[in-house]
Amino acid sequence: MSQADSTHPPGALPGELMMWVLIISELLVFGAGLLAFMGVRLTDPVGFAEAQSHLHRTGAALNTGVLVTSGYLAARAYLWRGVGARPKARLALAGAAALGVVFLIIKGAEYADKAAQGIAWDTHPFFTFYYLLTGFHAAHVVAGVVLLLLVAWKDAPRNIEAGAQFWHMVDLVWVLLFPVIYLLG
Amino acid sequence: MMTHANLTRAWALLVGLSLVAAACSMGLPIRIAAPAILLLALLKARIILRDYLDLASAPSWARGFALTLSLFCATILGLYLAG
Repeated sequence: MSQADSTHPPGALPGELMMWVLIISELLVFGAGLLAFMGVRLTDPVGFAEAQSHLHRTGAALNTGVLVTSGYLAARAYLWRGVGARPKARLALAGAAALGVVFLIIKGAEYADKAAQGIAWDTHPFFTFYYLLTGFHAAHVVAGVVLLLLVAWKDAPRNIEAGAQFWHMVDLVWVLLFPVIYLLG
Repeated sequence: MMTHANLTRAWALLVGLSLVAAACSMGLPIRIAAPAILLLALLKARIILRDYLDLASAPSWARGFALTLSLFCATILGLYLAG
């Protein structure tokens, strides 16, 4: 995955193969969900646009910055661990996990705002997809935070590499999910 | 190869592209901005794959992911414009 690891043959997938199986599987699941969302939108584009206007785009855009910064810290942690800078690597992983918690706090505020407006998963098909896709993604963020803290503790380079790969997958899904759910009204 | 400098450049690009996407969504009618917003999302996904996940070291895999994600974004755009 990096200059710290020279065990991968040229051109081969970097890191753990099973993590790539997971990454591709998750992309397929979320991709199918987003395509279904856009397909159902065809039946009621005006209703979908009206429902989308209740979302807090600024908070979601802020969360994009939070996640890409968190991914940056996780990637740097792996590089630092590869050159033996364990305290720096652990600190970066803790920072990445903390930003994951920030993401969840912003997401929680967004859900609380919807609840205060009387909006639930069955208010409109838009919100069924909204809660399903963003909730499933948030569950991955929770898992990722736990994983980052775990690999900060058990900090073998391969562990950090796998943890960072999972976290980048969460990041990758978000940059595709955000414009479709929040912006294309 | 992943380096600290490459990662920092990737992070700055990701933040910059996110700001451009936000500006597009706020400053243009959404049906006009939609292609740009999806293109920016595609670029961000490619940066994450190339630099954070280090697919820069596996160019054939990077091309495969890029092609698949491009088809995905094109389909999303088609469905959006059809609605």
